[in-house]
Amino acid sequence: MASAARLGSRIDAGLLVGCVILSLIAVALPNESREPIASALRRTVVAPLVGLQRGAERWRSAWATSERLQLAQDSLALRSVKSQALQLENDQLRKLIGLGSRLEWGFVPAEALHSTAPSEDLVTTLTLTAGSTAGIKRYSPVVAPEGLVGTIQTADPTMSIAILYTHPDFRASAMSADGAAFGIVYPHADRAGGGDAYMLELRGVPTRVVLKPNSVIYTSGLGGTFPRGITIGTVIQQIATAEVWTRTYLIRPAVTPSRVTTVLVLTAQRVTQGTGNVWGATVNADSATKRIAAAGDSLAKQAAILQAQARQAALDSMKRATIDSVRRSLGAAPLPPLPADSAALRGAQPAQPTRPAPTQTVPRRDTTRADSTRKPRP
Amino acid sequence: MNLTGAVRTIVVCAILIVLHYTLRPLLAWRASIDFLIVALLLGSVRLRPGAAAVYGFLLGLMADSLSVSAFGASALGMAIVGFAASWLKAVFFADNLALNGFFLFLAKWIFDLIFLLVGHRAHGAELAMQIFVWSPLSAAVTAVAGVIALSLLKPLMEVRTA
Repeated sequence: MASAARLGSRIDAGLLVGCVILSLIAVALPNESREPIASALRRTVVAPLVGLQRGAERWRSAWATSERLQLAQDSLALRSVKSQALQLENDQLRKLIGLGSRLEWGFVPAEALHSTAPSEDLVTTLTLTAGSTAGIKRYSPVVAPEGLVGTIQTADPTMSIAILYTHPDFRASAMSADGAAFGIVYPHADRAGGGDAYMLELRGVPTRVVLKPNSVIYTSGLGGTFPRGITIGTVIQQIATAEVWTRTYLIRPAVTPSRVTTVLVLTAQRVTQGTGNVWGATVNADSATKRIAAAGDSLAKQAAILQAQARQAALDSMKRATIDSVRRSLGAAPLPPLPADSAALRGAQPAQPTRPAPTQTVPRRDTTRADSTRKPRP
Repeated sequence: MNLTGAVRTIVVCAILIVLHYTLRPLLAWRASIDFLIVALLLGSVRLRPGAAAVYGFLLGLMADSLSVSAFGASALGMAIVGFAASWLKAVFFADNLALNGFFLFLAKWIFDLIFLLVGHRAHGAELAMQIFVWSPLSAAVTAVAGVIALSLLKPLMEVRTA
């Protein structure tokens, strides 16, 4: 029993020694000799495992590629979102530059930082990055390319706080584009949230004046806080109130507070001297277009009337010529000449060549028909 | 070991070998799991030391066929590890999972040592880095994976008694 165990141990040791020697020989073999052995193993025993490994590596590669593609897609989506924001900002800055060039002087550009607390539903104040050192004072008007934004509430040396038209303390004297209606603009009292949250009210409009929907409302310049002619918004509809002698209108503001990122603050000197026709340019262009269109319409009408009159005159002439020829053929005296106005009418038609008056004395065939020349029966 | 036990051991070792060539490339970790070592230890404890040495030698030769530059190093390392595992099977085959994990860790690290030193795969600082950083990490990961595999395959490996 002991000898069998000893024999087993010797065999185990022998096998180990044999494996170690074979391994060392394999390590010591030159590349030319070990490659055929390794190749034979790869082609036979290890072949299925190599196939499995190749498949796993393909899966891995596909997974990594998919991840890369997903990352690229996400990056593109992020860039797209950023580019849209940049485009919006670019548009706003372009408009602001346009407004600045129209105003030419008397304004301070500033960035608007939204300082609304999370608990607030409405944007009612803005922090501006320019202050009293730049010439901003309390009650200086804050404007955007679209129109009125608000007014300065506090002016520190390097920054200032503006209240927007949504603020409960905001008031502005306003008027219609044609100056027929005047009133005071207030924040809309009944804020139901959503779209109505940023509406305004034009109160105190006389009852005799009716404003149509989409009429543009501007600052009137009364009171001296805002110069005349800054766009406030457009009329949506009349609001029913208890007032008898005045009307109240719901106004859609021209400026959306949440989109305001850069503003211009008008200086006191500019407020005193006015802004001219900076915001009303489109209105004037519209009215000019309307005037041109109306003038074109009246010209066309006039031309049509003249043409109709000329046609009538030509018909009259032909009629007279026919009657003359009949009368001459019958031996009667011709009709007296045409009146002066008819000749004038004929002269007012230079495009149409005047047809010579029928001067032939020989009766035409159609005028010498038996039925027309037959003498009446006794 | 009866025939059923032998078949079960072969199936489990085959599964582990397949995992070595499928799951490991899929994970592609820097400190990778060595399922061949787990398969070697699992098989070796059920064999005589000599047979375990031959089993390790063949398994190593199979691994070496894919890395021609260190041909024979894996065979040597696995033969020694297999022989040692079979010799120490009373200790290794304890029911304590932590002890099993420790022996797996030790086996993998010793194998890496032999493989790196005999195969001349690295020199100097790189060799030290490989021996003292990456090999222990790989051994730890292998030990964890081996313990999980042993736990999962325990019902399959248990010998039923009537």
